[in-house]
Amino acid sequence: MGRISQHPILGVQNEEKKIVTFKYDGKDMQGYEGEPIAAALKANGVMVHRYTMKQHKPRGIFCAIGRCTDCVMVVDGEPNVRTCMTPLKEGMDVRTQYGVSDKPFDQQ
Amino acid sequence: MKIERFDLIIVGAGPSGLSAAIEAAKRGMKVVVFDENARPGGQLFKQIHKFFGSKEHKAKIRGFHIGEQLLQEARDAGVKVELNATVVGLYQDREVVVRMGEEVHHFKGDAVIIATGASENMVLFDGWNLPGVMGAGAAQTLMNLYGVKPGEKVLMLGSGNVGLVVSFQLLQAGCDVVALVDAAPKIGGYGVHAAKVARTGVPFYLSHTIKKVEGTDHVTGVTIAQVDNHFQFIEGTEKHFDVDTVCVAVGLSPMSQLLKMAGCEMEDNPKRGGQVPIIDDYGKTSVPGIFSAGDVSGIEEASSAMIEGRMAGVAAAEYLGFMTADEKKTELDKLSTSLESLRQGMFAPKNRGKNITETEEGIPISTNLLSKGFVADDEIERYPGVIHKAGIHPVIECTQNIPCNPCQDACNQGCISIGDNITALPISVKDSKCINCGMCVASCPGQAIFLVDEDTGDGKASITLPYEFLPLPEVGAKGKALSRKGEPVCDAEVVKVRSSKAFDNTSLLTISVPKEYAMKARFFKAE
Ligand SMILES: Cc1cc2nc3c(=O)[nH]c(=O)nc-3n(C[C@H](O)[C@H](O)[C@H](O)COP(=O)(O)OP(=O)(O)OC[C@H]3O[C@@H](n4cnc5c(N)ncnc54)[C@H](O)[C@@H]3O)c2cc1C
Ligand code: SF4
Ligand code: SF4
Ligand code: FES
Repeated sequence: MGRISQHPILGVQNEEKKIVTFKYDGKDMQGYEGEPIAAALKANGVMVHRYTMKQHKPRGIFCAIGRCTDCVMVVDGEPNVRTCMTPLKEGMDVRTQYGVSDKPFDQQ
Repeated sequence: MKIERFDLIIVGAGPSGLSAAIEAAKRGMKVVVFDENARPGGQLFKQIHKFFGSKEHKAKIRGFHIGEQLLQEARDAGVKVELNATVVGLYQDREVVVRMGEEVHHFKGDAVIIATGASENMVLFDGWNLPGVMGAGAAQTLMNLYGVKPGEKVLMLGSGNVGLVVSFQLLQAGCDVVALVDAAPKIGGYGVHAAKVARTGVPFYLSHTIKKVEGTDHVTGVTIAQVDNHFQFIEGTEKHFDVDTVCVAVGLSPMSQLLKMAGCEMEDNPKRGGQVPIIDDYGKTSVPGIFSAGDVSGIEEASSAMIEGRMAGVAAAEYLGFMTADEKKTELDKLSTSLESLRQGMFAPKNRGKNITETEEGIPISTNLLSKGFVADDEIERYPGVIHKAGIHPVIECTQNIPCNPCQDACNQGCISIGDNITALPISVKDSKCINCGMCVASCPGQAIFLVDEDTGDGKASITLPYEFLPLPEVGAKGKALSRKGEPVCDAEVVKVRSSKAFDNTSLLTISVPKEYAMKARFFKAE
């Protein structure tokens, strides 16, 4: 995956944005301040945002406009945050969501 | 509970909502526009291609630039846009319930315009909800708004304009599009959109659909198979592709729930994309004071959504007495003419579902274009844009009646003629002198115009083609010329590269090829 560094129509994207560091499942990751968390995760190659409650099926970005809730994660301790709509901030703690928890199912 | 009052409340700050707001604000109304997004503009800012239509519809301007112009116009008119504001309720008395963050607010509008647009349809196949399967709109959002590649290797399902346009945009973002697949036997979108994807080498699989998306935690591959007339899989026709992303573009549905909630009379109209309100020509619903405009009242395009928005704005202004009935009539007549000119041609809403086999001129439609995405060598000669003569001249491979005419406007030498009916096929005028300015090539939203010199001496021909990819080849670069199908046909050398502000990021590449390939070479791939 990754960023489009140079685009034939849009030129250099994200040029003036500030790079911030956030945590993804405890690991340091970087993205641009203010972009949706989901965009930063995608640029870092993260595909799975959550696992469904009953069948434990993986889910990732699907609509990218806040409609489907497939992209929800635990952000700063709060579950069910739509990462495609939530702007990234320095120091955010972003975790994979298992059902509605940030603990894998076998630890719930 | 305090309820704030407005003359007009508009739901949705897309092209239709903003246009409505501009018209109303210009007439002195107190207007507010609510949008659930963090940015205004709706779908427009994701559209990075040049638009069809004619000058009055802002043809040949890229969608996001039209969006910027519209926002400026809205600011100048003093329109107030509330972002991150989701409208969750609309009642018959025009009370509007809006969720902003954690809070819920109530507003009352003397008139309300619903311009909520549409949502993407989905189809169910094995693995449809695995991470890596996404709507084409999501892919567009990631790459065109946030500069992130949706994937490396992508399969596109859906050959309507959205599927075709997003496939091209994926290629522009540097992704590999492995196939464009559709269960229908014919490509649904504009032939020119299909042709610009096909010539880069993307294969089209019509009468095929996805059988299974593979992967445990995310997409690692996809299997498609052919379907029969009843959309049943044909055994033994499976094809596998290694991909990390599957994009789905199988149509849009009007987001008309608010209108239904308010008690507006609705109908199920397949020609308009599903559940839509019953409205008059200017967006008036069955509930007094409630209007609708844009995709929510019938899936069309941004160009038509903007005109519909203006109509609804004018209708609401007159309804509340901010303009006279005479003024309204003058305005609406003007707008209707402009809208009508867009609603013509093979792809007009009234022609949806019809089997059109001939152009308005009586020329058979290319069957290859409909099934493979490109016009075959033995079909191309029959169109009026394709001529042969000595010296450089435009070869216009635009073969369907679509509402579009920037090519005619671009040429001040009279080499290209469409006439007053903007859906007519462009004619390459034999008795004219092309000065090789390149404006037609760069202006054509369909990237369907090539400047051809069939004999430049020493057994070569030159072809100038539109190029919107990076890296831009340099003069002297050697490679292969690709056919309309996207297959290498001969050696080619870049002899000229032109970029200019007037071309608006479409570069013009001139390649030299052996003369017998003058009518075959249509794209360049560097070695
Ligand atoms: C890939 C693609 C290519 C396209 N190419 C072209 C083209 O070449 N030419 C062309 O003319 N058109 C094109 N279109 C179509 C065009 O983008 C749409 O027809 C147009 O945007 C419709 O405008 P609209 O204002 O009705 O809706 P939208 O642009 O969808 O805007 C609706 C707005 O309403 C908001 N909203 C919805 N519900 C609520 C709610 N409950 N509360 C608050 N806000 C809400 C949404 O957030 C959105 O901002 C293309 C579309 C796509 C997807
Ligand atoms: S290159 Fe210039 S002169 Fe020639 S056909 Fe195109 S617009 Fe006309
Ligand atoms: S050739 Fe002319 S009519 Fe056809 S797509 Fe291009 S600009 Fe439009
Ligand atoms: S991807 Fe659908 S809500 Fe975020």
